[in-house]
Amino acid sequence: MNMKKIGYTALWLLCCLGFPVCAQKAPFRPVFTNMTEFGISLGQVRYNVNLATENVEKRQTITAQTFNGVQLRPKLAVGGTVGIDWYTTALLMPVCAGLRYDLAQPGKKNLRVFTSLDTGYGFAWLHEDPTGYETRGGWVISPGLGFRIGRPQNANFILSLSYKRQEAEADKPLMGNDIYKHETRVYNRIAFRLGLSF
Amino acid sequence: MKLTLYAFLGIVLVALNGCTDKCKETRTFRQFTPFTLTVAQVRNGIQTEQPRTLASPGKLYTKDGFLFINEIKEGIHVIDNRNPSAPKMVSFLRIPGNGDMAIRNNILYADSYMDLVAFDIRDPQNIRELNRVKDVFPNGQFDGGYWSLNAPQEIINDQRVTYVTQTTQTNCEDGTGGCPNCAMDVWRGGGVFFNASSIQSGSAAVSTNGTGGSMARFALYDNYLYTVSQSDMQLFDIRKPSDPKQGTKVTLGWGIETIFPYKDKLFIGAQSGMHIYDNSNPEKPVRMSTFEHARVCDPVVVHEDKAYVTLRSGSACQGFTNQLEVVDISNLYNPRLLKTYPMKNPHGLGIDFPNLFICEGAYGLKTFNAADALQIDQLDHLEGFHAYDVIPLGKSLLLVGRDGFYQFDYSNPKKLRLLSKIPVQRPFPAS
Repeated sequence: MNMKKIGYTALWLLCCLGFPVCAQKAPFRPVFTNMTEFGISLGQVRYNVNLATENVEKRQTITAQTFNGVQLRPKLAVGGTVGIDWYTTALLMPVCAGLRYDLAQPGKKNLRVFTSLDTGYGFAWLHEDPTGYETRGGWVISPGLGFRIGRPQNANFILSLSYKRQEAEADKPLMGNDIYKHETRVYNRIAFRLGLSF
Repeated sequence: MKLTLYAFLGIVLVALNGCTDKCKETRTFRQFTPFTLTVAQVRNGIQTEQPRTLASPGKLYTKDGFLFINEIKEGIHVIDNRNPSAPKMVSFLRIPGNGDMAIRNNILYADSYMDLVAFDIRDPQNIRELNRVKDVFPNGQFDGGYWSLNAPQEIINDQRVTYVTQTTQTNCEDGTGGCPNCAMDVWRGGGVFFNASSIQSGSAAVSTNGTGGSMARFALYDNYLYTVSQSDMQLFDIRKPSDPKQGTKVTLGWGIETIFPYKDKLFIGAQSGMHIYDNSNPEKPVRMSTFEHARVCDPVVVHEDKAYVTLRSGSACQGFTNQLEVVDISNLYNPRLLKTYPMKNPHGLGIDFPNLFICEGAYGLKTFNAADALQIDQLDHLEGFHAYDVIPLGKSLLLVGRDGFYQFDYSNPKKLRLLSKIPVQRPFPAS
């Protein structure tokens, strides 16, 4: 495996530079590609911290996403990702630019390791606020790693593990003597998903 | 090697944030500290001073190009506004315990805790106290803090308000629609307001009245000054404007907020609803009907046969919080709800039909086209300042809030143009 080449490309991925840089040699013809996954996102929260109390709770919520793009090179696909994240008090729809890159194919078998990076904005379009609340989405970034199982030319089964940082904010109803009440939220989650790609 | 670097960067990113949700709530609220002062301190405390900066602006009143902005519990700023683009601070009239005002001709009526005081304002640099009706208001509230008069001991028990901003970590899950904090709001006051052009004074031929905002508790009609307290309406006979006399007292019920006369009717905003009084005998108003809704009520604006009522948050538990209600009042004995529109935190409002202006508290000012009561469209939303009360004056809009006093040109209601601003030095940090 050519580590150096992978390394360079990984760096290139990180920088999100334009793709024409290394697209000149391959006789490969770009094709449409899709990856659709569904799973759970796991997290926790620590709150109500003072001298007398402290609470830590675990969070498990549902997440789903679909990546649609162009397989620009045999190992690289670029496109857009639209998802749905079912946080308890925010139903967000991340709309992201996304990359998928095949890192390795251990033993040349029908198993490929890929990495992903999605970043964009999570919208609260579908979220229904109780009276007095106003929830807005925010920036989202999600790097991840996964396996594709199946022959490259066929539909593949996917297992993936990704990290997601989703920002959001909410105005809250004013009670009693409140003049202003606002909450900023950062959801930091590990998402485990299963899916299909073709 | 570079792959390792990439993996390392990924791990660092995760490690920095962990997989822990981080939610912070920033909340600014009022805190009350009790204190007492003597009746003599209050009565001797009146004087005209040099103009000073706004700190806690309250109600707004305008007459003949002059603006009167209440400084909650402190007095009244007098401002020369004949050129709305460059208002000039003229003087500050110190009145302990002042919250409301009304002006007829050259006489300013203002409350001073328990007393009603009449001032001669012909010379704004040197405002003189003319007369005082003593001990007519037994209690009241300013900015959520209550005061009461202890007449035998000649002292007033009051509460000092301070503003506190707190940041706490939350569980990111407040907002599921339950009842997170079932406290009842303490109202700053509500109101009834009418299109300035439709205000008619019973004795308009000889007297001229000023224009108040939608949060006013004082109103002038015919030979009377009407003032509402938490539960009563106190009338003052002002046949001789410089010498007000205590008139009848009408018990209205709990939670009264504002009053405004419209033709020969009095509309009274209360927390339980809007009362409509027949005022054809100005000396003795008679209740006609009450438009009721669940416990909360705030200012009302009226144009012809439609009343626009805003309800402000406070009792989320009853599922009744921030909204605009359009009420059909063509039959004054039977007001009827036409439609509701969601709002965020509506305070005062004003109408210059078809333009409707709603102060959204910390969320700024919204303008609407209210031509069709069943389809009120938002035209503009100005954010970044606190809006408490407005007065539309035909072309320019007067707005007061915690951040200052603003004047806008609304000849294009889709895009208000700022004419001038008098800033506030706030007693609490920016929220």
